[in-house]
Amino acid sequence: MSADVMIRPRTRAVPAGARRRRRRDPGRVLRLYIPLGMYLLFTLVPFYWMLVFALRPAGSNAPVPWPITFEHFETVWNDIGYAVFFKNSVIVGVWSLLCTTVIAVMGGYALARYRFRGRNLFMVVLLCTQFIPGAMMLIPLFSIFKTLGLINSLGSLVIADTVFNLPLSIILMSGFISAVPYTVEEAAMVDGCTRLRGFLAIVLPQLRPGLIAVGSFAFIHTWNNFLFALMFVSKQDSFTIPVGLSYTIGEYSADFGALAAGGVVAALPVVCVFAVIQRYLVHGISAGAVKG
Amino acid sequence: MTTMRRRAVPYLLISPTVVLIAAFLVYPIGSVAYYSLQHRNLTRPWADGFAGLDNFRQMLFEDEVFWHSLGFTAKWVAVEIALQLILGLALALIVNESFIGRGLARSLVFSPWAVSGVLTTGIWILLYTPSTGVLRFLGRPEAAVLGNPDTVFPAVVVAELWRGVPFFAILLLAGLQGIPGELYEAAAVDGAGRVRRFLHVTLPHLRDAIVLATLLRGVWEFNNVDLLYTLTGGGPAQVTTTLPLYVAQRAVDSKDFGYGSALTMAGFVILLFCSILYLRLSRFGEER
Amino acid sequence: MKMKVAWAALAVLAVTATGCGSDSGSDAGSGKTTITFWDNNGGTRTPIYQELIKRFEAANPSIHVEYVGIPIASVQQKYDTAIAGGDTPDVGGVTTSYLANLTGQQALEPADDWLAKSPVNGKLAQSMLDSVRKTVPDGKLYMVPNTSNMDVIWYLKDKLKQEPQTWDEFFKDADELTKKPDEYGYTIRGGAGSIFQVLAEMYSYSGISEFFDASGKSTVNDPKNAEFLTKMAGLYKKDTPEADVTNDFPKMVAQFGTGKIAMMHHNLGSYNDHVKAHGKDNIGAFALPTGPGGKRTIVANPVDGFAVFKNSEHKDAAWKFVEFLVSHESNSYWNQQTGQIPANTEAQADPWVQELPHLKMAVDTLNDPNTQVVSPPYYLPQFSSITKAETEPLFQKVLLGQMKPQEFLDTLAQKLTDAQAEWKKATGG
Repeated sequence: MSADVMIRPRTRAVPAGARRRRRRDPGRVLRLYIPLGMYLLFTLVPFYWMLVFALRPAGSNAPVPWPITFEHFETVWNDIGYAVFFKNSVIVGVWSLLCTTVIAVMGGYALARYRFRGRNLFMVVLLCTQFIPGAMMLIPLFSIFKTLGLINSLGSLVIADTVFNLPLSIILMSGFISAVPYTVEEAAMVDGCTRLRGFLAIVLPQLRPGLIAVGSFAFIHTWNNFLFALMFVSKQDSFTIPVGLSYTIGEYSADFGALAAGGVVAALPVVCVFAVIQRYLVHGISAGAVKG
Repeated sequence: MTTMRRRAVPYLLISPTVVLIAAFLVYPIGSVAYYSLQHRNLTRPWADGFAGLDNFRQMLFEDEVFWHSLGFTAKWVAVEIALQLILGLALALIVNESFIGRGLARSLVFSPWAVSGVLTTGIWILLYTPSTGVLRFLGRPEAAVLGNPDTVFPAVVVAELWRGVPFFAILLLAGLQGIPGELYEAAAVDGAGRVRRFLHVTLPHLRDAIVLATLLRGVWEFNNVDLLYTLTGGGPAQVTTTLPLYVAQRAVDSKDFGYGSALTMAGFVILLFCSILYLRLSRFGEER
Repeated sequence: MKMKVAWAALAVLAVTATGCGSDSGSDAGSGKTTITFWDNNGGTRTPIYQELIKRFEAANPSIHVEYVGIPIASVQQKYDTAIAGGDTPDVGGVTTSYLANLTGQQALEPADDWLAKSPVNGKLAQSMLDSVRKTVPDGKLYMVPNTSNMDVIWYLKDKLKQEPQTWDEFFKDADELTKKPDEYGYTIRGGAGSIFQVLAEMYSYSGISEFFDASGKSTVNDPKNAEFLTKMAGLYKKDTPEADVTNDFPKMVAQFGTGKIAMMHHNLGSYNDHVKAHGKDNIGAFALPTGPGGKRTIVANPVDGFAVFKNSEHKDAAWKFVEFLVSHESNSYWNQQTGQIPANTEAQADPWVQELPHLKMAVDTLNDPNTQVVSPPYYLPQFSSITKAETEPLFQKVLLGQMKPQEFLDTLAQKLTDAQAEWKKATGG
């Protein structure tokens, strides 16, 4: 795979006319709305069930959250201490998102645009790191973090999660970068831009969907990582949400109401952030064209 | 730029990754390889020591669960990946269309991905347990999908699909954005129908994205244990035990780290072999 | 452009958030001793410890206790990782079910010297001290008992009117209380944790008093035990939900919580959950029924308590904290909140013990001279792995009819017999 074989010259046009035509197509109901509706049902039933458990009193069997109660939310927020866990999760999630994305763009660019000695080996090593379950590497990882003085700090989680997110993110990112035509970049360099400026001005805006995909991948994996969060941290005020969630289900107490309430607290902000950024899953063609 | 400096650029770009992997992953992976040749069991400390190939001999010739778990893992990964790919692609195509409420629909269908493993399993336990679940509202109050060896597989597959499909959908949607619109218009002018446009324009453009997503997700589904561990514990009677779940049972629950490491190495070799084979067969990255 | 704004906003958020995070540091330099305490069942018990720590720090202003709640499902993995990495707490909650593993890794400090000089000496239940000492080959006290537990059958009073005394009565009740389609007399624990419960049931039925006979052979596969297991497995799907085969504690309690199931076998520790779901007045408990022999037999539950870790740099403060936790007032408070049996004999005499019906029943049963106690071999480091990962799937096969009860018990007995022989050889016993 060399740089030039990845070139796929293309121009773009927004098919606005085509869209308007499609909107009047009666087949859309069959093709679009029915499958989407069915899939939405599949997606939402579990969420609805979570809400029911979060909002109805313990011991109730009603299929609707009525009479409504907020006692489970009080339990998780006050007794279990979600406020702190939540803050920690945001810190670790955002930092590892930033680290992962930046390093993955660098590595992905190297893989996509250069043909260098050791490139294939690098790919294989990246894949190999994914072949061993995290649980088997806990003790040696713990020793490394201890040597570096990182145990009990959120930094250890940021590093561990970044390291585990990276291989996947680089491989995905190289795919997204390959899809951006190299000619555009070359044109910028002919215009006198340095390669870096050409990249920042031309390629990066076009990478939006890829950045969103890889970034949310990194964030969500970190946000949900229970094992590292529990094993590398032994401080109550440095735990993250998955640890808090696991408090509610144990051998002497299985409080599904609290689990569900904690789940709502954990999922709601991520779903909301996603609702905002999903708009950028659209290619940044206009931004690229203007600057180019 | 001189040639020397130009040559150094890719190495500079991958250097942070190389440093991180060298610092944090080489030693842990090496230690798993080392312990696979050792007897290391916290419940039998008196028997610890060099094992040679003992663990592997036991695994290959005496351990029925190992072989059974391999078969189940293959089935689990194949079924999950095939269904996640098909549903994810369908979903990506749907939410790539423009329609009223698309933003909302996107965030809703993607949202299960944002739900943590602890919670996903909690929700599905509630849904599947007869007395707390939804099946009793469908007239099946006694149906115990997780307790019945015949229904447990579809049940765990559906639960994993719930959070797995959005991954494919997001990646493929991002991939769809890279397809130039005029290619479709050209195809339409040529008289190509919807199906032919999909087969001749969409699929070829998504090929690399599909190969990558299936490979990475396949590795992930192979190694991921949280859902099965909590939902079924690998049961009933070990019919849903994957190899990594068995590793967790042996290395974590039974504290037999040496044997668990040998099982892990088996998984490592299998994944390495399958990944290389898959990349070769799919002719990933080759120009067509 | 919007994209950049979004990234910048995220970055700012992260930086500010980190800024907030750093002010929650330690109080090093203020002359205080800080000790770390790991709760082995973090979550619902967190507020109890927070209250006790508040009281302790008020009485000992020079010591700061840092509480860390470990989820119970992961506590052994956490300890094993911490010990291997050399980063253990000062004080940790442990139970005799994994005490042998911890002492096998030389992680704990014996409590004998401290106890000899401590004011709580002579005030901790002798039976609990004994069972802690029996767990380790050197007979030392590596854990200070805090609480004990007992297997009971919880039931809903609006369903079951009369507590069964014998297993035969129990089986009859379970059958009568089952009303198709979805009301059941009983729920079997078929998933994680199943073996321990089934052991308790079998020995209470057979009345066998020892786990191993004189020649070191396990008594688990005694024909009377097999007879019971056959009856119990016969209930599956007849008088219990089909889902039971993968029932671990959360699933079992989720089922029982709906009020569709009349009886459930667990231990005193889940009292608060049942009260929350069913109300104080509708929940009752009885000891495991007796078998044909008529002799009340119970299998000793693991004892829960506190251990000081060898690597602790503040052992004096650590012992002081342990002493506080097992003192009359704290021990009484802890056990009253959880509904379990206090280790402190003064706390055992407190009036609330008599006022909680399930606890009074448990204490009376344990103190009854006619009650026979069978001690499982918690001292075998392999015991927990044999009775969990190695045989739980086989028990599921028994419920599904894929394995004969006797065959299952023979396998389990063989594993225990072998482990016992190997342990005896290794410890020179």
